[in-house]
Amino acid sequence: MRTLRSVASWFAPVLPESRVAILRTVLYLFVIIDIHLFVRDPIPLSRHPELYQPLLIERLFHLPPPSVPLTITLYLILVVGCLVAAANVLPRLAGAVVAAAFTWWTAIGMSYGKVDHDHLALVVAIWVLPTVGVIADRWRSMERSAQAGWALKCIQISVVFTYFLSALTKIRSGGWSITSWPESSILMWAIVRRPHGLGQFLLPYPELLHLMQWFSFTAELTAIVVLWLRGRALLAAAVFWMGFHVFTMATLYIHFAPTAICWLAFAPLERLGPWLRRVKAGRRERARGRSARHPVPVLRDQAVDSGG
Amino acid sequence: MGQGVRGISRMSYGWRIAATVLGVGLLLNGSLRMSDDLWPFGPLSQYAFSPAMDETIVITRVEGLLADGRRIDLPLRVESAGISRAEIEARIPQITADPALLRAVAEGWTSRHPAEPALLKVWLVQDETRLVNGRVGPARLVVLTTWELPS
Repeated sequence: MRTLRSVASWFAPVLPESRVAILRTVLYLFVIIDIHLFVRDPIPLSRHPELYQPLLIERLFHLPPPSVPLTITLYLILVVGCLVAAANVLPRLAGAVVAAAFTWWTAIGMSYGKVDHDHLALVVAIWVLPTVGVIADRWRSMERSAQAGWALKCIQISVVFTYFLSALTKIRSGGWSITSWPESSILMWAIVRRPHGLGQFLLPYPELLHLMQWFSFTAELTAIVVLWLRGRALLAAAVFWMGFHVFTMATLYIHFAPTAICWLAFAPLERLGPWLRRVKAGRRERARGRSARHPVPVLRDQAVDSGG
Repeated sequence: MGQGVRGISRMSYGWRIAATVLGVGLLLNGSLRMSDDLWPFGPLSQYAFSPAMDETIVITRVEGLLADGRRIDLPLRVESAGISRAEIEARIPQITADPALLRAVAEGWTSRHPAEPALLKVWLVQDETRLVNGRVGPARLVVLTTWELPS
């Protein structure tokens, strides 16, 4: 019985619902940014039905091939749905609509030959966020629940698995060898193909690139421990991975923004509301204090006077 | 400052844990055994292959001949051609078999550059860079196919 309870509390720890409410706002607004900056090609791609190759998920659900009216409709649904869901209004309905529409939208973007992997955590997030249901008081909610904890844990697992699984795939693609990927010319290959970033300055140093490959491979393979970190250790891990994304962005022009934003599922966002209220109260307090002392000249004026 | 804890039934715990275990299982299956076709449960294979020390690295491009005689690069980005390099690269066998598929690039570029002279012909080309012992070696340009736009 005790093990059962501890299993349940690992998968669904009791966490503040305000964290989910804030995360909803951030992630649904991020989806709007995403469809303009990252998965931004479904509408132009839908003009070329001859290049469409549906993924299993699209064949399984008999989804119609993308056309311009279809992708524009999806786009409009996403924008409206995200704005409603970001406000924590109709969280189940708006959330489910966004989840289905965004999954389809992203699947279309990946149905013309190129499949990206930076959307795993975000896609999982938009499917689990609606399950928490209505959060009374939204950002100001004082309630905690296992429902909130489960949604957050799912997002956390998918963030960490984005790294861990990519390490497994590297082992698999190298013929089930640990050394073949880190010792390969993969970074050289990536920089030659994207010669715009800082990476071009590393081209003369293949040994350094191998060292970087070993470093990132080790980090990815061990990323799974993040699920058991707390406090400062967790903060250190988050800072490390943000640094990792900034570095790959600068050297290779590869951003993992949809994964990076989902790191917020680890952050104690619930402290944001009380902190903002404290700051506001403090400002009000100071304003009152100043007005009480109003007749007294301020310090710097005195200094100027006495100095002159 | 009452901090309540919302109740949760056994059933609710049950399906949540089952869904997580199923999801993790599907993801492991995807990365260890499956292909990109299974997205979002496929392998996380971006940059996950191992180029050899003497690999030939190719950059696929499309060049176009304009009515004023200029031959220019038609950048394969969504903003400039309506389609990105990766999508063209994934379709190279189909395009070399049926060069008219380059219409996607030609039309995408033309509609986004109305002030430019008409496109007469497009080339699907590759810049090939050979690695020699893990270092950048000689480069050359290879033409894969061409397509003349119907006038």
